[in-house]
Amino acid sequence: MVVNSKQIDALYEFTRQHFVEHYDLQTELVDHLANDIEQIWQTQPNLSFEEARDKSFKKFGIFGFMDIVEKRRNAMTKRYYKYLKDELVQWFGWPKFFITLFIFFVCLYGFSSNHVQYFFISIYTPLIGWIFYRSYRLNRTYKKRKLESNKKWMLENIIFKQGGAVGAIIVSQFPTYCQLLSHTLYNQYLVLALSTGTTLLILCFYISYYLLPEKADKLLEKTYPEYKSAVL
Amino acid sequence: MTIILRLLNENDKMYGYEITQKVRELTKGELKITEGALYPALHKLEAEGLLKVEVQKVDNRLRKYYRLTEKGETETVTKLEELQEYIKNMQVLINPNWSLQ
Repeated sequence: MVVNSKQIDALYEFTRQHFVEHYDLQTELVDHLANDIEQIWQTQPNLSFEEARDKSFKKFGIFGFMDIVEKRRNAMTKRYYKYLKDELVQWFGWPKFFITLFIFFVCLYGFSSNHVQYFFISIYTPLIGWIFYRSYRLNRTYKKRKLESNKKWMLENIIFKQGGAVGAIIVSQFPTYCQLLSHTLYNQYLVLALSTGTTLLILCFYISYYLLPEKADKLLEKTYPEYKSAVL
Repeated sequence: MTIILRLLNENDKMYGYEITQKVRELTKGELKITEGALYPALHKLEAEGLLKVEVQKVDNRLRKYYRLTEKGETETVTKLEELQEYIKNMQVLINPNWSLQ
């Protein structure tokens, strides 16, 4: 006996009911369950589809698919950071390196000046404002994409939501930066560290809030061979 | 992980369920890769760039096949050597050859 198309759809629904919301993982688990159900039917042909499905699902343990989903997210987050790193590396090569150097020297000049507090505010206020604006835009785009396609992809979720988490962490560290500022006049190493850190931060924000979301479809195609056919 | 890499090295491309069945068949049921352990391992290897994925429509469903990348092939050789070394050391510890020189 073979699992039919209607039962395949039922298996997709079954994975959704068990907290697997992303199509990439659903597809893999549906195929696994279908294979196992067919195997079970070879020895117990009298079992109904639902009985065979539940027997197969039990093999995933008491937490069902939850552990797989969590670990899949970790693996996909790792992949996201690899894409981010690949983009970041380009800013240290020709010709983008000049932009990186420009940002760094502006920061170095600002953090070395006597008006470091004003410089800090003039750099970070627009940056944080831009982050909030981009988060809002990305959130809207993500909702629109979800409406256009009924399939969710884990990497897509990370690309459009990950930046928000990074931004929140940076904003939460604001008091620490303010404390450090009072020491910059006396410590050249601190100025160097703050300039490097701010340069990297600006680049990372630009990549995660703008470049990666702009390249989302290309990255999704690269990550998921089934993406192109699934969204069409 | 080493078992998965070894199987893929011998079989060109495989899908998740096939791997669980193959392990069971080769070890005559002595070793069982649970579903909860297999997929996280495959996804981790994929994220590390050791495996690449291709999807094919089989019957009425999509099937995800895993294949070793070049990096994966090199890593398989290293992992197998490490495993053989480990087994060799364990054998020495379990069956020490006591002899007076």
